[in-house]
Amino acid sequence: MAATPIFEARGVEKAFPGVLALKGVNISLSPGSIHALLGENGAGKSTLIKVITGVHQPTAGAMFLDGVETSFASPRDAIAKGIGVVHQERNLFPRFSVAENIHLEQLATSYLKPVDYARLNREARPWLEALELDLDPATLVSELSVARMQLVEIAKALSLKSRVLLLDEPTASLTSSETDRLFSILRRLRDDGTSLVFVSHKLEEVQEICDRVTVLRDGANACDGLSMQGVDRNQLVQMMIGRAEGAAVWRHRDTSAQPEVLGLRGVSTVLGHRDITLSVRKGEIVGLYGLVGVGRTELAKAIMGQFPVTGGEVRVHGKTVQIGSVADAVHRHGLGYISEDRKTEGLILQHSVLANAGVPIWRKLSRAFGSLSDGRIETVVTPFLRKLEVKTPSLAQIVGNLSGGNQQKISVAKWLAAGVSFLIVDEPSVGIDIKTKAYLHDLLRELADNGTAILLISSDMPEMIALADRIAVMDNYRIKGEVANTGVYADISRNIMDLIHGPQASAVAV
Amino acid sequence: MIQISRLSRTDWFGPLLATVIGITIVQSFSATFLSAYNVQILLLAIAVNALVAFSQMIIIAIGQMNLSVGAIGGLAAISFAGALEVWGLPAPIALVFALFVGALCGMANGILIRITGISAFVITLATLSIYKGINLGITEAQPFYGIPDSVKNFGSALLIGPIPWLVVPTLLITLLLWFMLRRLPIGRFILAVGSNDHAAALSGISVGVTVVAAHAISGFLAAMAGVLVVARLQIGQPSIGDDWLILSFAAPVIGGAILAGGHVSTTATLLGVVIVAIITQALVLFSIDPFLVQVVLGAMILAAVGLNKLRARQPLKGSI
Repeated sequence: MAATPIFEARGVEKAFPGVLALKGVNISLSPGSIHALLGENGAGKSTLIKVITGVHQPTAGAMFLDGVETSFASPRDAIAKGIGVVHQERNLFPRFSVAENIHLEQLATSYLKPVDYARLNREARPWLEALELDLDPATLVSELSVARMQLVEIAKALSLKSRVLLLDEPTASLTSSETDRLFSILRRLRDDGTSLVFVSHKLEEVQEICDRVTVLRDGANACDGLSMQGVDRNQLVQMMIGRAEGAAVWRHRDTSAQPEVLGLRGVSTVLGHRDITLSVRKGEIVGLYGLVGVGRTELAKAIMGQFPVTGGEVRVHGKTVQIGSVADAVHRHGLGYISEDRKTEGLILQHSVLANAGVPIWRKLSRAFGSLSDGRIETVVTPFLRKLEVKTPSLAQIVGNLSGGNQQKISVAKWLAAGVSFLIVDEPSVGIDIKTKAYLHDLLRELADNGTAILLISSDMPEMIALADRIAVMDNYRIKGEVANTGVYADISRNIMDLIHGPQASAVAV
Repeated sequence: MIQISRLSRTDWFGPLLATVIGITIVQSFSATFLSAYNVQILLLAIAVNALVAFSQMIIIAIGQMNLSVGAIGGLAAISFAGALEVWGLPAPIALVFALFVGALCGMANGILIRITGISAFVITLATLSIYKGINLGITEAQPFYGIPDSVKNFGSALLIGPIPWLVVPTLLITLLLWFMLRRLPIGRFILAVGSNDHAAALSGISVGVTVVAAHAISGFLAAMAGVLVVARLQIGQPSIGDDWLILSFAAPVIGGAILAGGHVSTTATLLGVVIVAIITQALVLFSIDPFLVQVVLGAMILAAVGLNKLRARQPLKGSI
């Protein structure tokens, strides 16, 4: 290794009741480098980050700062010793100013010394400038965009003289141009000698920006500080899941003879959709592509009856219908929606696995038997949970106690169990690890082959190409056109971009 | 236009407008509304009710609620009166004792909430009963009458014109609270914890200390209100505080407080108290059934919460 590491962890173990989350992990962070920390959900990444940032105390092993053994009693202690972290969830106070958010840490030393806002603003400015953030420090955080909030969090971490900066999925909510900007800032920080740790599921980004990589698998190192040079995507995947990535093969299927399951003709909604025409046939996977915020999720919710359709015609199995409520959509018409926001819209975290997976079929089962029996639900639900490899000690386990990946699997399983004939899948692989993603893709294909019509909403182009039979392109609450999936990435992405930005796009307004 | 829309986003503008309109309307119907005597009555009510509202406001700021505001106020009131009558303590010492009792009760609420992790609703519901029970155990539901003249005089004396002395402590506390929530770290921490306690902890704020401090302040303010009522009534009634609960929520909410925590306004809460006082007074002046006051208060809480919801959406639209 070129320089002495700023931070090093050796043989770190962390035991939780019943689980050994980390089984002797090593990681070594050098100054002036961007270090990727990879691993599937449940591999121990989050636990390792929590140990490094002082949230958890390791059960065994040692940590060193500049070669001197150290330990972190609390997050504050870690911060004081130069370990900064930008968490995946936003940790800013929206009603406080940018400057106060950045400096709250320094205020926390005293309870009664009056706050000097002029000084806070003055002191915040250099950190904002360092990140090329043209921003009045007195601005309220609530008035910023998500990307700017994230930069404010980075400014906050830097202002604490962090020499090690951990970024947990920093690009999850950024657009690609915002990501580029973030990367150029990260590179500059690296050149100034900061040691950055980059946690992400997006391997393309990791390859673009990181120079070293540590991969965790099942709570142990699959590699430790490997140089990124000469490591290709496949090797990373292999280290993460212990096998090579099953290449997502696109297969051409002809579904044109199948009957239409869901048809929209010139539909407009209260949310601002105009003239949406879309058709999904039995056994077909139709992609709905578009950038974040162009109305894809909103369309899904309108189809599901959450928002009123104001014009046009909605047909389910060839019959014109009016879907008045979500319950109507699920029970009468057999439509299902797997939300992008699984935690708040997809699951009831305080309830058991069984209860969550069984929600959509309660009505169906109770109608046949008069009352609900857990055993009956169990027999319907279990095969799907098993197929998705949901790791849970029992069906009575509270969903909130399971890992994020497992929660996501359950939210998928419940609709599979409900046996809907039309399923909207909204950004199914956001925040999901590669292995689960591959299973999920297999599963969606299998569902389609068995006759389920699927509308796939995704911003992940490779995913679109791997799954969709055709791709409808949406922009600004309108369908701009459709692209047939030929399996050729370059062609499809050019066609899609033509539809969104091309000359014909602006002309189409019928 | 732009300035008006900016003003409408502040917490105090709406309540101020309502206050001015309210005064104008009531005055136009009843010329005696702004008479010296009536203003004095209004100010006396506001002096006590503002402290009650602040006591709840500080707990709303941390995203909790305190059902025991009235019970603490009552216990502090009879502590004050009892210390004067039974122990014969001088008034300033009895005052300190009563405020200490209030802060201690509040602190007990905060500590119980932190240690047990049980919701503030349940804890303060339980302590409401406990504090009220202690109150009744001590007094056997009989008032203390032995209030010294110094206290009685303070409760009825006028500062200048129709302005009673009783408003002075309330005014000072309003300024202090305003300064605390704006400028003092403890005030900022209370708002930060109310906004997102997880993020507050990661920023190095001790959530436990902040929560307990907020409850202690709440108890202190309730006790202050209780003492002022004793000075005004000139007896230590055990039933002091029994009817504070609705008002304690109404004023902060009319003042734009967000019940989920993280956002309250001292000035707007004070205006909320003024609005409630004006309406109550108006109903009396127009000799409308006083029981209707409760109905009006309830309706105002509903309306204010609805308005706050609308307002919360507005800035979002502007920034996208």
